[in-house]
Amino acid sequence: MPEIFVNMGQISSSKDNGILTTVGLGSCIGVTLYDEKAKVGVMGHIFLPHSRPNDADAPPGKYADTGIPAMIAEALRLGATKSRLQAKMAGGANLFPNLNLNSVSIGQQNIEAVTTLLKQHGIPIVGQDVAGNHGRKMRFFVENGVVTVTAIGKDPVEI
Amino acid sequence: MRNMKLDFLKELANIGTGHATTALSQMLSGRLFQLVVPDAQMLPFTEAADYMGGLEQVVVGIFVVISGDVKGYMACLHPLESALVLIRLLTGEDKAEIDDMGRSALQEMGNIMVTSFLNALAKMTDLLMVPSVPGLAVDMAGAVWESILAGAEVTSKVTVIRTRFSTEGESIEGHIIFLPDDEDFNRIARKVGLGDL
Repeated sequence: MPEIFVNMGQISSSKDNGILTTVGLGSCIGVTLYDEKAKVGVMGHIFLPHSRPNDADAPPGKYADTGIPAMIAEALRLGATKSRLQAKMAGGANLFPNLNLNSVSIGQQNIEAVTTLLKQHGIPIVGQDVAGNHGRKMRFFVENGVVTVTAIGKDPVEI
Repeated sequence: MRNMKLDFLKELANIGTGHATTALSQMLSGRLFQLVVPDAQMLPFTEAADYMGGLEQVVVGIFVVISGDVKGYMACLHPLESALVLIRLLTGEDKAEIDDMGRSALQEMGNIMVTSFLNALAKMTDLLMVPSVPGLAVDMAGAVWESILAGAEVTSKVTVIRTRFSTEGESIEGHIIFLPDDEDFNRIARKVGLGDL
């Protein structure tokens, strides 16, 4: 079964089978969209919540506001139906909690942006493992929609 | 980033790294530390974590916010094996993983290195640069790295200085990232007579 690695800012997809994997989610968010009937899966690795005018050449998956619509478009392209899409997400951690870089951590801002956008598109979030102070690895099995999240020194969880 | 700017940033980082290494050497009195290869590279931000040896490798990241006349961010990253050697040198204890004592030793070391790095630049430019208390994370390289980039609002490229120290036959690897605010970076350049870069 092919395993596709999704790097920061990227969006990848698979139909029928395959594993979509993203490694090293810190403040970033890994998002998956799944249409169980069409067996279509899309994964994005989102870096920041809002796109910036001075970074117009960025891939859409880098920012939540451009990434979520691009992920939906990719799912539809592979034959998914929007009303059947379900989302899962992992990440949005704050690895340096004592620094108080922002009043709301970037991880938290990412969680809120992704949650709001999915809601706007009417896509339910059916599983999540977010926030906290540790990094995560996320694997998405397109065959059955299962998503596993692993972290250093913790037992893997299925979301 | 134009070449002159990159060269100047490399030069600043080299000066700062030299001083930081001296400070580290003094902290580990009696053991000679030698800076083997300082090597600076500008990398697309998505490739930086891979350059450090894989996204899943455990690393120690020290992250500092700079305030004063020059604002910005600074970070040091060490592979786990190098961090364990550092902890052994600092505390005299040989451990397989990083416990609370190890964390505080690394935090203190990060503090000293960052402070001496910034002091060297402050002396040269007469600009005040004050580091925050360091943040410390022991986690997957990818997670530490992207959290630093997101925290410092780096969205395109980043200059990474790779350093290697050796002591008593052991090698310690580290990566230093110095990210001054754009406008403040120009102030540094003007202070040393380079004009706006």
